[in-house]
Amino acid sequence: MKPDGKVVLLGDVNVGKTSLLHRYMERRFQGTVSTVGGAFFLKQWGPHHISLWDTAGREQFHGLGSMYCRGAAAVILTYDVTNFQSVVELEDRFLALTDTANRDCIFAVVGNKVDLTDACACVPEAEDGHLSEKPISSSVPTKVKKQVRMDDAIAFYKKILKYKMMDEKDAPAAEKMCFETSAKSGYMVDQLFETVFDMVVPTILEQKAEGSSQTVDLHNYKTAKNTQPGCCR
Amino acid sequence: MSVKAFKLVPAVEREMLMGEKTRINIECIECCGKNLYIGTNDGSIYHFLLEERNSPSEKTSFSVTKQLHKYLSVRKAVGELKAASALNRLLVLCDSTITLVNMMNLEPIPTGARIKGAVTFTLNENPVNGDPFCVEVCIVSVKRRTIQLFLVYEDRVQIVKEVFTQEQPCAVAVDGHYLCLALTTQYIILNYNTGASQDLFPYSSEERRPIVKRIGREEFLLAGPGGLGMFATVDGISQRAPVHWSENVIGAALCFPYVVALDEEFITVHSMLDQQQKQTLAFKDGHILQDFEGKVIVATSKGVYILVPLPLERQIQDLLASHRVEEALVLAKGARRNIPKEKFQVMYKRILQQAGFIQFAQLQFLEAKELFRSGQLDVRELISLYPFLLPASSSFMRSHPPLHEYADLNQLTQGDHEKMAKCKRFLMSYLNEVRSTDVANGYKEDVDTALLKLYAEANHESLLDLLVSENFCLLTDSAAWLEKHKKYFALGLLYHSNGQDAAALQLWIKIVNGDVQDSTRTDLYEYIVDFLTSCSDHELVWKYAEWLLQRNEEIGVHVFTRRPQEEEQENSFNPDDVMSCLNKYPKSLVKYLEFLVLERRIQKEKYHTHLAVLYLEKVLHLKSLETERSEELVDTQAKLQSLLRKSDLYRAYFILDKISGSDLHMECAILYGKLEEHDKALHILVHVLKDFAAAEDYCVWNSENKGIPYRRKLFHMLLMAYLNSSSAERELVMAAVDLLNSHAADFDAALVLQLLPDSWSVQLLSSFLTGAMRESIHAQRMSQIALGLAKTENLIYKHEKVKLKGHTTVLSDRKLCQVCQTPFCEPAFVRYPNGSVVHTHCAANRLVTSNTNHHFSSSSGRT
Repeated sequence: MKPDGKVVLLGDVNVGKTSLLHRYMERRFQGTVSTVGGAFFLKQWGPHHISLWDTAGREQFHGLGSMYCRGAAAVILTYDVTNFQSVVELEDRFLALTDTANRDCIFAVVGNKVDLTDACACVPEAEDGHLSEKPISSSVPTKVKKQVRMDDAIAFYKKILKYKMMDEKDAPAAEKMCFETSAKSGYMVDQLFETVFDMVVPTILEQKAEGSSQTVDLHNYKTAKNTQPGCCR
Repeated sequence: MSVKAFKLVPAVEREMLMGEKTRINIECIECCGKNLYIGTNDGSIYHFLLEERNSPSEKTSFSVTKQLHKYLSVRKAVGELKAASALNRLLVLCDSTITLVNMMNLEPIPTGARIKGAVTFTLNENPVNGDPFCVEVCIVSVKRRTIQLFLVYEDRVQIVKEVFTQEQPCAVAVDGHYLCLALTTQYIILNYNTGASQDLFPYSSEERRPIVKRIGREEFLLAGPGGLGMFATVDGISQRAPVHWSENVIGAALCFPYVVALDEEFITVHSMLDQQQKQTLAFKDGHILQDFEGKVIVATSKGVYILVPLPLERQIQDLLASHRVEEALVLAKGARRNIPKEKFQVMYKRILQQAGFIQFAQLQFLEAKELFRSGQLDVRELISLYPFLLPASSSFMRSHPPLHEYADLNQLTQGDHEKMAKCKRFLMSYLNEVRSTDVANGYKEDVDTALLKLYAEANHESLLDLLVSENFCLLTDSAAWLEKHKKYFALGLLYHSNGQDAAALQLWIKIVNGDVQDSTRTDLYEYIVDFLTSCSDHELVWKYAEWLLQRNEEIGVHVFTRRPQEEEQENSFNPDDVMSCLNKYPKSLVKYLEFLVLERRIQKEKYHTHLAVLYLEKVLHLKSLETERSEELVDTQAKLQSLLRKSDLYRAYFILDKISGSDLHMECAILYGKLEEHDKALHILVHVLKDFAAAEDYCVWNSENKGIPYRRKLFHMLLMAYLNSSSAERELVMAAVDLLNSHAADFDAALVLQLLPDSWSVQLLSSFLTGAMRESIHAQRMSQIALGLAKTENLIYKHEKVKLKGHTTVLSDRKLCQVCQTPFCEPAFVRYPNGSVVHTHCAANRLVTSNTNHHFSSSSGRT
């Protein structure tokens, strides 16, 4: 089945791209190993099929990024809120990969792992309820300091627009496109993907409209030949 | 974790090629149909005929026969071999030159056509020029950064295009106008027609050998960084997730739905459907892996082997056998396009069913149900797992080969009662869901019987619902089962739904009598009454009527009194027969007579009298007891009075006779009233009972529908009774005054005034007088109006008469009768209001003749 649109997750190694996708698609958090190459899921969104590409953050696979991004309708740039370097990497390494994406590509900036920081709304979901019932033991990591604030993400989003030479007025508002999530608790994960999908749908429709006009109608094909009488005449 | 997708079968072994000559190595292979060509490092080509042998033990093997062994003109390694079967040519790359040789005899073609300066070459499997007798060949040229495209015909070659690249290319694949190139540092897609190029991704050709493999229309498979097998389309997009090979992969081939890769020690098999590694085969020193029209061939430098794919069905079965349902379904779905539609559907359904049973055995009922549903499972397959559920008469045989490995539920659950109960609950809900759908078509009996058994065993309340709704439960099987589980009431229902009402009743009566125990219904007696009431088999009703009445006279009689409306009209139960039956049961008899008289309103003296007598007897009996059961007495007495009052049919003298001597004065009065002996009646009411209200009431109901004079007569009699009392009690006088004042309109005032004693004051009677006055004046005025109206009417007629007399009618012998159109011979004639004149006899016949009728009726309509 050919997907109607593509959404790509980019980001440095170990920021939680695969976990975000798992949380959204399979409604649970599972520790994953470092992604090799890439993986993808197909998501039915209304009448459309959207392919969700998970990319490998490792430097080794960096070269594949621009191929994954080719023709993408949306790119989700992911960083780790406890690691400032992960935002820097986004700007330095990953932003250039999006050159191959669609001209009207939508960008979202996502700070994952807010559950680790002290100031967050990481209410565990019901399914994880049994975890929260347990007394806090040494196995629960102590809270770490948040290194990336929302303002930093917004600033980065504006840089993206600048890089893409897009007018801030035309692009979706920074406040709307910057998220802080927790794949572990599920906090804001659905909102993130659903917002992106909703914004992707119009571009899919546009493409479909264009696509249909390019279709050659074989049934209405008329031969221009046979205007000359045959040789026997 | 692994699937057995391929089997490695040796094809050409060392002895067949080089014997003991150890320095000779295989350099390249080509396979086209049954022809297998092998190029060696000493510049020779071997031609073998490869034939598949399918032995019954499923062990595929190949018979290989050597056809030819030919040395080329140069003793250099044969770099590549490609067959062009349409041209009957083999393209041979040796010493940087591509020569054409005959496919069969390996002789060089006479024209000596060749392509010089090729490092490597490939054929375009999706050619763009329409000529079937030429092939498109793409070479990496010995010239720096150059790709050349040729058209190769039977005996000539023609260069079509030369393309320059930004870096040195080292491998190429073609599809249509698209070249997929491995350059020194990256892979690119290049459209040689437009020159447009698209970067795919970087890699390093120094670190490892690039792989560029066309895997289908406009799609390539490339060796990427980190041992990735990357998919890329000609648009530079990846539509499938990469597969993960080892770092040192040498070759790759495609055999849907698998990607096969070769490294120094292993052949690995990945699924394109889920990117998982499915199989690993140890294979040392391999250096060639290629697929030829679906055949995957691997070679070491000394021998050639074939990777034989196992049939997809077999692979799926293996997956199912190891309970890997998800993977099996993915593989089955992926196989859809490789298998003819009808065959696929049959296969896929079966796989779904098998998968369903696997989920079922793991008690994953939701998943199982969905799989059974989509696999259109014959529910009997499922039912047959449960011992004894299928009826003995069922023709069902489990499908062969079996869909699952279980003999029955006991084996599946290993005797775990809790699990078994869960399975049963699932089957219950599943059968209940499907029984009314077309899934159950054709074997509704089996489904319903099984469901009944489950319900009965589990003591489930839906058992009764099943039996009272339309069902196909088989009688003998279900009956035995219900009996075993002591569901006697349900068994009765089963008999009933099979038309055996007699058996049903017999059983139920046994339950009520306590002969068998079943507490399903505490109100079973009432249920039986209701059942018989609506039962159309009257013999059954008669048969059990006695039993019913013996048990409860009042409720039992319902079988006669509450029969359905439609039956009532047929009068199928003769009241006399019923009564003779009820004679022994007085309470029932009363109820029945009440039904006949009050409800059915049967106008027969017999019943009315009978009922009245029964009431009377009861009243007398109750009175004789003189106990506190006054409520019942009052009640019965009220019924008696009501009947006496409302019915006109009973024999009043007969009743009167019975009453006389008792103190039932009111009843006595009513009876006198019925006999028109109002004097006696009123006497009783006024003088014996002194119940003036009742007396007034008496006058009212007795004069109902009998006109004002009768009413006045009655009231007058009552007044007389009050006034003519010899004792002239004050009480009676007061009653008389009240009567007059409240019923002024019911008296003839003139008569009354004559009766009244002179001593009564006007004030005392003011209300009566006013009322009488009003009545009188009203009557007078009404008469005047009537008189006036009558006079007016009279005047109108007079006017009409004068008008008609005013005109003269001239009759001459020339005037013709309007009816018969003949002249008048006599002076007598008839003149109609519209002026037409006719003969008297014609007027008499007028109504007979139709056309004149029409004529006159229309003319008279105008007047």
